[in-house]
Amino acid sequence: MSMIKIIDLHKSYGDLEVIKGIDLDIKSGEVVCIIGPSGSGKSTVLRCINRLETPTSGRIIVDGKDIMEPATNINHVRTEAGMVFQQFNLFPHINVLGNVTLGPVKVRKMSRSDADKLGLSLLEKVGLADKAKNYPEQLSGGQKQRVAIARALSLKPKVILFDEPTSALDPELVGEVLEVMRQLASEGMTMVVVTHEMGFARDVADRVIFIDKGVIQEQNTPKEFFSNPANPRLRDFLGKVSEH
Amino acid sequence: MEFQFEWSIFFESIPMLMRGVKFTIIITIGGLSLGFFIGTLIGLMKLAKHAILRTLAITYIEAVRGTPMLVQAMFLYYGVPMALGLRIPPLTAGVIIIAVNSGAYIAEIVRGSVQSIDPGQTEAGRSIGLTRSQTMLYIIWPQAFKRMIPPLGNQFIISLKDTSLLMVIGVGELLRTGQEIVAVSFRAFEVYLAVAVVYLVMTLSIAKALRMVENHLNMRTTR
Repeated sequence: MSMIKIIDLHKSYGDLEVIKGIDLDIKSGEVVCIIGPSGSGKSTVLRCINRLETPTSGRIIVDGKDIMEPATNINHVRTEAGMVFQQFNLFPHINVLGNVTLGPVKVRKMSRSDADKLGLSLLEKVGLADKAKNYPEQLSGGQKQRVAIARALSLKPKVILFDEPTSALDPELVGEVLEVMRQLASEGMTMVVVTHEMGFARDVADRVIFIDKGVIQEQNTPKEFFSNPANPRLRDFLGKVSEH
Repeated sequence: MEFQFEWSIFFESIPMLMRGVKFTIIITIGGLSLGFFIGTLIGLMKLAKHAILRTLAITYIEAVRGTPMLVQAMFLYYGVPMALGLRIPPLTAGVIIIAVNSGAYIAEIVRGSVQSIDPGQTEAGRSIGLTRSQTMLYIIWPQAFKRMIPPLGNQFIISLKDTSLLMVIGVGELLRTGQEIVAVSFRAFEVYLAVAVVYLVMTLSIAKALRMVENHLNMRTTR
């Protein structure tokens, strides 16, 4: 069953076309990693899926709803497609538990006590139940990102979009975030992950996609993708990445 | 004739000035409360998606900031009643003038503070399904408001001093009260010095209170 269907997506900023026709079909329960050089348009594709960016043309269907249709309630679609940002974007004026319960309380109209119960169980899941009363600035980068994942899960979404979730982290903090993501994948969550973590893509993804110059240059199972890259750009990119 | 500073005049005028202080405070607080309401409205209008709202907001801000407050006061107190056929009491007119005037400056404070919040905050709010107005209310406004406090404090001091201009429309505020004392004592030096000292005590108190509020907020959570 198709969870996200992207048909001929184009996105331009003024005269600059950054997405030049992308088609993508992501099945329920699938983990898709998107890699590519910076400026390739990979984050833009992700941000179009929950319409943080408005596509210039094309269609995007999330869980059966066409997000470009004026009749579609985009706020509802966004509760079905959670997002985790590179810079965490936690709410600094609300404590950790409040960050996780804001959506359930204000969007789902859940009672405060039910939301707190849900929030604590999600914080438990990401290993941060003891930080519930702390403020975001008192956490490390890795902890912040785990709270952000708990927040994205708080509306029980059908898919989570990860926009370079470990790129802003110190190297020693990357592992704890990837661990939570692995766990989510093993529970069957549909995930679209824009990342530079090749190890994660190799181990966890069902499919890896290489985007460069606004189009999908190659997509394959991780095994084939990394061992037999066909596209010369991808070969070049993987060569540069593995040097580090 | 040699000038002699009369300490007794200086000290005796201070209690008499308190009647004016009362009106100065009433007008400042009344005007700023209303001005904050206007400023929030106009400031958010300036950030609105619709061009009409933005144009209205810009027109208001430019018109108020581009004309002297003294002219605005004369226009409202002497001009408008001619057109509408109703008299506006001086105190009411004073509150309105301070509100209209500070509103334009507060609008820019509101706009600047809201715009200074990382766009990622809005994105995070929208990404969990909050509407535009919920995102503003629960996420952007609380953070922006904290950044508004220092410039709002400045505006408080400016508006308090601006109330002295209202003597031209007959409001019995501090400066006018001082002028009345001079009219009977003929001691302009001592009386106006006392007036200045009273203004200074008020503005320094505001500055001090402001620092305490800021420290308190910084202790609760940083940023």
